[in-house]
Amino acid sequence: MDRPVGAALRRRVSEARLGRALRRAREAGPAALAERVALPLLAVGTALLLAVLFYYPVATVFVDAVVEDGRLTFGPLAEVLTDEFYLGRVLGFTAYQAALSTLLSVVLGLPGAWVLARFEFRGRATLRSVTMVPFVLPSVLVAVGFYATFGADGTLNATLSAVGLPPVDLLPSLGAILVAHAFYNAPLVTRVVTAAWESVDASAVETARSLGASRPRAFLDVVLPQLLPAMLTGAALTFVFTFASFAIPLALGGAQFATIEVFIYSARQQLEYGRAASLAALETGVSLSLMALYLRYERAQAAERRGNRTLARRPLVPESWTRERLASRLAVAGYAAVVAVVFLAPLASTVYASVAGDAGLTLDSYRFLLERQTTGATFQVKPFPAIVNSVLFAAATLLVAVPMGVAMGVLTTRRFRGRWLVDALSMAPLAVSGIVVGLGMLRGLVFGFEAFGYRFTVTGAVAIVAAHAVAAYPFVVRTVAPPLDTLDRSLVESARALGASRARALVDVELPLVWPGVVAGAAFAVAISIGEFDSTVILAEGGGTYTMPVAVERFIGRRLGPATAMGTVLLAVTAAAFVVVERVGGEFRG
Amino acid sequence: MTDASGRSRRRFIRAVGAGGIAALAGCSAERTADPTSEPADTTDDSGGETSDPGTTTGEPTEPMADTLVVATYPPFVNAPSTSPGAWLKREFESEFDATLVYQTPDSELNYYIERAVQGVEFEADVYVGLNTGQLIDADGQRGEGQFTDPLFAEAGALEGLDAVRDGLQFDPQNRAVPFDTGYISLVWNATMDGGDFVAPETFDELAENHAGDLITQNPTTSSTGEAFMLHTIDAFGPEGYLDYWDRLQDGGITVLGNWSDSYAAYESEEAPMVVSYSTDQVYAAAEDQDLDRHQIRFLNDQGYANPEGMARFADTDAPRLAEAFMEFMLRPEIQAGIAQRNVAFPAIADAPLPEDYAQYAKEPPESVTFTYDELEANLGTWTDQWARRFAGG
Repeated sequence: MDRPVGAALRRRVSEARLGRALRRAREAGPAALAERVALPLLAVGTALLLAVLFYYPVATVFVDAVVEDGRLTFGPLAEVLTDEFYLGRVLGFTAYQAALSTLLSVVLGLPGAWVLARFEFRGRATLRSVTMVPFVLPSVLVAVGFYATFGADGTLNATLSAVGLPPVDLLPSLGAILVAHAFYNAPLVTRVVTAAWESVDASAVETARSLGASRPRAFLDVVLPQLLPAMLTGAALTFVFTFASFAIPLALGGAQFATIEVFIYSARQQLEYGRAASLAALETGVSLSLMALYLRYERAQAAERRGNRTLARRPLVPESWTRERLASRLAVAGYAAVVAVVFLAPLASTVYASVAGDAGLTLDSYRFLLERQTTGATFQVKPFPAIVNSVLFAAATLLVAVPMGVAMGVLTTRRFRGRWLVDALSMAPLAVSGIVVGLGMLRGLVFGFEAFGYRFTVTGAVAIVAAHAVAAYPFVVRTVAPPLDTLDRSLVESARALGASRARALVDVELPLVWPGVVAGAAFAVAISIGEFDSTVILAEGGGTYTMPVAVERFIGRRLGPATAMGTVLLAVTAAAFVVVERVGGEFRG
Repeated sequence: MTDASGRSRRRFIRAVGAGGIAALAGCSAERTADPTSEPADTTDDSGGETSDPGTTTGEPTEPMADTLVVATYPPFVNAPSTSPGAWLKREFESEFDATLVYQTPDSELNYYIERAVQGVEFEADVYVGLNTGQLIDADGQRGEGQFTDPLFAEAGALEGLDAVRDGLQFDPQNRAVPFDTGYISLVWNATMDGGDFVAPETFDELAENHAGDLITQNPTTSSTGEAFMLHTIDAFGPEGYLDYWDRLQDGGITVLGNWSDSYAAYESEEAPMVVSYSTDQVYAAAEDQDLDRHQIRFLNDQGYANPEGMARFADTDAPRLAEAFMEFMLRPEIQAGIAQRNVAFPAIADAPLPEDYAQYAKEPPESVTFTYDELEANLGTWTDQWARRFAGG
């Protein structure tokens, strides 16, 4: 079946298919009409949203790379591409640290997926929810947490000296960048792999076992191939994110370990748009190519399978101990210790910094938040509106991004020539860095564009939600598309043959089968929205629509207290939001 | 707040119901029809944003002569410790029959330069918080896109201008008027090394024995880092500073991204010295912090001076009010108030500061700085060379 999707869809659907669907639907009544056109409409809406809030602004930035004084010269781009410093040292180091960061994130993230997907224990669901918390933390807080934990005078060295070990000097260094990148991205790997693991078909494993395969054999031959796409999703996303990493190398690595993004930022600050745009084009080119390569791989992996009974989880504390059980539980304990050092310690240090004063514990920083709330001037950032805005934006983003992501997931899992390209284009928001999008939004949307004698500007709450949704929906696509792709087509076809519309088949048949992916995508949407800084601050410029990360940023000063107190509030609100998302989302499965 | 939330939900529902483009159109249309949609308080700095015309190219409708829009950097109004913004607004409004509205774009002056290049109008009347580099950026971009007219007007004969201390004037065209100044210096922690740590007194001593003890900032992303680099150029010359930085790098100097990253690292006792401001003790003393952790060192007995200026936008529609504001800013009691709240030095000599202010705000025996002309010709090259040399290491 060769169905046009994406850009072409806009044109052709509106003419032929929509017309046919409308004719058919008119006979069947308005409800059926809504069902029939829902998916294509969502796709068209997504495409338009992408065009206005992503492709247009980003294009305005890239124009600077190829246009000089109004003429197409490719001058700035050529300058960067022929400069050995940028091509060799900057690009080389950026790719190098991204590769190492990805490796570390996968190594650190996979055992987490194993524990969450295969063991049953009290608080598992909650733990699964809060794995997303690191993802939303403003980098300034992570830097503070890392310095307080791994710094010369940090808790790690205090612990080491207490047990008689020599102190280590970890900061600033390449190692610190890598661990911080793992702090952000290992939970992402855990997240997508857990979702995949939870949709592994139990009967296939049982069949393998009954045919004589050992437990490891069955894992290697049956389970692992089904986890591989998710693992690669996690790895590909991690690479793209760490390739475009800005604040972490800046805060923890210093100028010696400057990435391409640091050079883009400083070129922008010096108003060297040509150089900033050329470097951004180079960076985006690499990210997008990798993304496209990965998507081609993912397609090749897709295999038909049937059934949806998932693997049963084992209790973490078994009723009787065998050698094998003991070994696996020891591994879990060891992993928990590593998690405590890498994830919990920086978070705990952040919370501690919010109550630490010169003379012991103090609530001064929280008193500051209260004072700012009650006596702050109207033009100052206050904590409570920031919380309310963050929660509202996150909820709205969830409601926009999940349907967008599911619709694109369904459409891009159809088979047609060149769909990997459509897929890559719809995934592009992941591959373009925040600085580029932010700059484009400023110049393309906040300042506005002129058409038909009017200047159109896009700002305010709706624009923020739309920008958050554009940034978040690729995650929904990525967590929903692979399981959709491996879904047994005959199930949908049977439903359609029995008279269900395409939309009804999606809601009744496909969605329940890929639900863990949808919930994972929903959690990502919330995470992106709560943690987003760049476009929020640009689109909210000066207005009353600032969020918690913006408040954290504004509360940085000569002492860390106020920022870390606001950060602790951010942590608490975020963790609560994820628990709600997953508790509510989990009910769908019954 | 409930009002605002309710509205955004309604907007949102309409947006989802009508699909993407309708959401955007709805957004713009609503903004034009309902310019005061955020909390109904025109003194809100959102005024700058919310009254932004959504879909028209027209002028703002309200008369601007009784409203002064002051553009500045966010910490000027919104610092967690003290900031002069709220106090200034109160003082100004109590005296003038006018409303002071703040605009605090995150990208600071670049926001207005970019608007000028794009040919987009803006409402700001005065910019508060200019430094030499920003002025050079603004002048350098003139000629790009639709940026043809000058961004700032000449200050003219402002009352109080002659009281500004010698050496602070940094604009050869007399547009920017200094309103306070700071000195970049080392801040050091005398409790480190078991109380034995003493900061070096000269640049050479720093490179020989203490490079690994210092945290500074990347000159390409931070103004304090830029000032410290410029200080090394002043000390070793444009031909020698890169070699000096090689020595610092070999000695293990730490160069982080911006002032807050490096100050956080310093507070975690990551290193005993950080490049910061010589007014560091003002805030530490006010917070009853241990001053041993906030010692000041001027290398070679010098501090790099970073005066902050204000300037009137050339196309302001409230030029008289803007001038009145700049004169107001130069008054001795206002100068003292700004200095204390912005943790800086006043731009005039006779501001009535409290007795102990001089005790905590340290002035260098000698101040150094580069002129507009020297920086205009070289700053970009110096910074790029630095970035290439340092990142290559």
